[in-house]
Amino acid sequence: MIDDYFKIALKNLKNRALRSWLTVLGVVLGVFLITSLLTFSEAIPRAVQEMLRQIGGDVIMVMPGEGIDISTYIGFASGLELGNEELEAVKRARGVDIVLEMPFQAENVRWRDQVETVLVWGLDFESGLEMIRDDMGWRISEGRYPRPGRREVILGQLIPRNFFPGIQPGDEITVSGRKFTVSGIMQSLGHRENDSTILFDIDDYRSVTGTREGTPVIMARVEQGHDLNVVISNIERSLEDTIARRRGEDSPSFTVLSSDAMLELVDTVLGAIQSVIIALSLVSVLVGSIGIMNTTFTSVNQRVKEIGVLKAVGAKKRDILAMFLIESGIIGLVGGLIGIASGISFAYFMAYLVNQNPEMIVEVQVQASPYLAIFAVLGSLFLGVVSGYLPAKKAADLNPVDALMYE
Amino acid sequence: MSSKPQIKLDKVKKTYRIGKIDLEVLKGIDLEVEAGEFIVLLGPSGSGKSTLLNVMSCLDVPTEGHVYLDGQDVSLLNEDQLAGVRGRKIGFVFQQFNLLHHLSALENVTLPAVFQGRSESQRKKRAADLLESVGLGERMDHTPPELSGGEKQRVAIARSLINDPEIIVADEPTGEVDTDTGKKIMGILTDLHEEGRTIIIVTHDLELVDYAQRVIRIRDGVLSEK
Repeated sequence: MIDDYFKIALKNLKNRALRSWLTVLGVVLGVFLITSLLTFSEAIPRAVQEMLRQIGGDVIMVMPGEGIDISTYIGFASGLELGNEELEAVKRARGVDIVLEMPFQAENVRWRDQVETVLVWGLDFESGLEMIRDDMGWRISEGRYPRPGRREVILGQLIPRNFFPGIQPGDEITVSGRKFTVSGIMQSLGHRENDSTILFDIDDYRSVTGTREGTPVIMARVEQGHDLNVVISNIERSLEDTIARRRGEDSPSFTVLSSDAMLELVDTVLGAIQSVIIALSLVSVLVGSIGIMNTTFTSVNQRVKEIGVLKAVGAKKRDILAMFLIESGIIGLVGGLIGIASGISFAYFMAYLVNQNPEMIVEVQVQASPYLAIFAVLGSLFLGVVSGYLPAKKAADLNPVDALMYE
Repeated sequence: MSSKPQIKLDKVKKTYRIGKIDLEVLKGIDLEVEAGEFIVLLGPSGSGKSTLLNVMSCLDVPTEGHVYLDGQDVSLLNEDQLAGVRGRKIGFVFQQFNLLHHLSALENVTLPAVFQGRSESQRKKRAADLLESVGLGERMDHTPPELSGGEKQRVAIARSLINDPEIIVADEPTGEVDTDTGKKIMGILTDLHEEGRTIIIVTHDLELVDYAQRVIRIRDGVLSEK
């Protein structure tokens, strides 16, 4: 019996093909927005988490600027920098083991006759190599780690592939008229941008970039036996003292966070963004739902006489109700399926576009969630049935005599 | 004639409320119909003949009085129970055919059987036989807009027979077709009567009286039989 209603419903929908598709489109837009935005926005925290996870739990990060600035977390792109005074202040704090600044900048790099613009990082090889090896898990895949003070550099995994094909350990590169020797090539760090950098000793970095100080982030490792939170407040106090002395005021312009706390912050901020996205998407779903209701009402009004005939020949209320609910359910379901397919595809496309942007330090990797897909399919089916209910009820409650006389 | 009438109307009144005025369309009608009768219900427009047919065919319930179908008081049934009774016992033929335009002739004929829960193969077989018997064996896959008025009415008659009802009610069945086609349709209804079915036709067309065993006249909601 249900399969008969299904066939009849399909015929009715086909009979009003244009209107049916327009209504489906209303649902598609809502589901499309929800799936694409949610899928994409879920990928951003994953990318940031991925980046932060490489940093061990006992590493503290000091960043310029106060409070939560989302641009700080997505790619350290705030433009603010910490200077040498701050670096020294962090070093003075009790319980701090190794302190590293990690400035970066784009520079023209020459290898043989080829010149490319590459992101160069500065790192104190003397104290920092140990930390990037042990706490951040960076590994050399070819050659060896560089020696401090010997004008040696290491290349990101993608430098030989995308910038200087054929370059190998032992080769020389030239930056700002100074020659450096490639000591090794790193294993992939998991992100395209990180893999496309050249790592210099901090003094070499300062001389080739012509900068004396400034770093978007300072990393500090907690000395064994010290409590993470105590060290964080030690660093804060030390920085506050420095700034107070320098400016004669005590307004802090820095943020001190453990990598775990930073993860939490990122989650909080992106969670808030997602809530807004969900709220906006729900509005569009509501619009789709009103569309289904409108179409079904119109359909009922256009078919009053037909409903009268069906009732005359023995259709009960639940038969009429079922027929119309199946119709609106099909609209919802088809809209949901198309919306999910297009939404997920669009999320992948957006991620592709974002990853094309060379300023993005993290790589956004979209993962289509099967739960979201199932939820969206069932949700849009439910939406169709719920939106169709009022008009279907109206149809089912029609008096057969009145309906038959309706012109 | 059997001892118990197939349809019995007992002091049936039907009142419609239009605005603040109560319009009494049926004014206390008593009527008994035996199984296998061929009745023509004659009356001018506004006489209440269609309302009477609706009440007799379980499409509507009386405001006062009782309607018995095979001894069962159908005036006490709710809407869904009435739909069940209509589906099983009564076949409808309408003046304007009332076919569903987007369904084929065959699908239109099978429709009432869907609500009785018959299997698809059963339905299709019977519908095809019925269309064959009204001379539309070649036109089964056509939709109503592709059929002539007479063909549409024959499809409607086939539809009325799909659940093998004992009673066929027809409201002006020849009203929308030409005289010759009208005669053919009345011929089919006469055949159905000869098979033993009760036929009740509502019309204002005096020519149909010739087919009837029994003519009932209605005027201003009151019967006069001759």
